[in-house]
Amino acid sequence: MSDGFRAQVLTDLPGLRQRHDHIFAADWRARATVLGVIALLVGLAVLAILRLELSLSRIISGMGELGHMVGMMIPPVPSSSAHAMVYLHALGETVAIAFLGTLCGAVLAFPIALLAARNTTINGAVQFMARRSSDTIRGIDQLIWALIWVNVVGLGPFAGMLAVMTSDIGNLSKLFSEALETADRKPVEGVTATGATRLLAIRFGVLPQVMPVIASQALYFFESNTRSSTIIGIVGAGGIGLHLAEQIRTIEYQAVAFIILLILVAVVAIDFVSGFLRRSMTGRASLTH
Amino acid sequence: MLRIEGLTRRFGGKIAVDDVSLSINKGAFVGVIGRSGAGKSTILRMINRLQEPSSGKVLFNEMDVTALKGQALCEWRAKCAMIFQQFNLVGRLDVLTNVLMGRLNHVPTHRALLRWWSEEDKAIALSALEQFDIAGLAAQRADSLSGGQQQRVAICRALVQEPEILLADEPTASLDPRNIRIVMDALQRLNKHFGITIVVNLHSLDLARAYCDRLVGMAAGKVVFDDVPEALTDATARDLYGLEAGDVLDSDAAETPEGAVAAAA
Ligand SMILES: Nc1ncnc2c1ncn2[C@@H]1O[C@H](COP(=O)(O)OP(=O)(O)O)[C@@H](O)[C@H]1O
Ligand SMILES: [Mg+2]
Repeated sequence: MSDGFRAQVLTDLPGLRQRHDHIFAADWRARATVLGVIALLVGLAVLAILRLELSLSRIISGMGELGHMVGMMIPPVPSSSAHAMVYLHALGETVAIAFLGTLCGAVLAFPIALLAARNTTINGAVQFMARRSSDTIRGIDQLIWALIWVNVVGLGPFAGMLAVMTSDIGNLSKLFSEALETADRKPVEGVTATGATRLLAIRFGVLPQVMPVIASQALYFFESNTRSSTIIGIVGAGGIGLHLAEQIRTIEYQAVAFIILLILVAVVAIDFVSGFLRRSMTGRASLTH
Repeated sequence: MLRIEGLTRRFGGKIAVDDVSLSINKGAFVGVIGRSGAGKSTILRMINRLQEPSSGKVLFNEMDVTALKGQALCEWRAKCAMIFQQFNLVGRLDVLTNVLMGRLNHVPTHRALLRWWSEEDKAIALSALEQFDIAGLAAQRADSLSGGQQQRVAICRALVQEPEILLADEPTASLDPRNIRIVMDALQRLNKHFGITIVVNLHSLDLARAYCDRLVGMAAGKVVFDDVPEALTDATARDLYGLEAGDVLDSDAAETPEGAVAAAA
């Protein structure tokens, strides 16, 4: 039967061609666009390579150096158990920086997000201000914030915590306000229709819908900040990053390897726990929707 | 008494409700009928100010509802409860909390924010749930309930507002025949037992005929019929529904709620 249909189509081929010639005509414009975009990307990449003076020979000789470094990292043990204790302590500091920074950042980002979201803001002017302040904070990278805070409050974990907090205020307020805006309008209308004030309509109509998403985003930021706060340690904002930089500078590669392993274990452990928590929070949502 | 005077609402260049005037007596059970897009929902939403009128007035016992602001507006909404086609519950909250939403206007803000309900408010909510045989579901999440159960929760939420009027916007349009009957009976009970004035938008003519004591027919934003159900002839109904007439008129108009439900299915 399908053979019969195919045969019928083939006899009608000229007719089909004639009736729908724009479909049979090859779309040269679309093809040219794709080719043009590819050529443009390649061209830009070549320009960038020239501009950065990348050279293949340096990569190849560097590979040898890298192999040598890896060799020197084995076995990954610190020079003494006293050093190991110092590193563990510093790792604890890094996790504490990430935790406190994320917590304070999320708590401060939340009201900004409420003011920045279309469906929970007070008025257009307030919404504009909230959005622009969030954009401004977000425009500066966490590492730069660390350098700024080190100058303000001095070297140490306090500066690190402030850096994580500040950059999280910018990022989380943006994410939270987007989550708020995805809230379904119907429950809000239902609560409003009972005679509830706007504040209560947001409290009971919007927040129950978005709290799981918001909590899960904050948890993910804790995860990600544990990784990034090793970096801000390098500029003197406390934590294990400082020790890592120090050991690289003094070519103590076995200690470097030990510290990297410590960080990996901590990050994997936090990923695991927070991933589990996030899944259990959002999982309940998808179960019933 | 609820009085609507010259109520009009435009959306862009389109007129959704066109110069509508109506008086609705206390204790009435009014059905608003007409094809989709006739302006039924917009009228209801202007009565409790979920939507602002372009012009015209809504008066309740000579109070100008359209001029209300702030706390006075909230109090009016508490007095004029509403239920919706999609129930509009907060799915992630439990049933009891959803019903307690109906008490928000009676609770101080700080206590409401903390969900710190009084013994009395909880008792009121539970008793409402018992009236409609769903007290056993009080602790369940609202979005785990069936449509019929959710609409009953919404009716409980409306009841605990202690309203004088209940607006219902196609409350049965998402339900199966058995639940249509349960929900319409529940509205009838609020009307007869608690003296609450009911204004209900209905797509189904048979349901409207079976439950309402007055029908308001709308077409293109205007009121084109306003009388007791018995006065609505098939010819008028055919005009009212136009191309949709087949959907609502294909049965012999049922005289009893049971027949109406069967026909509405
Ligand atoms: N928020 C809105 N924005 C634009 N047009 C609307 C809006 N609400 C309703 N309308 C239009 O107004 C008319 C009446 O709608 P509605 O009151 O919902 O009718 P009904 O409830 O009788 O089906 C329709 O044409 C609809 O498209
Ligand atoms: Mg409608």
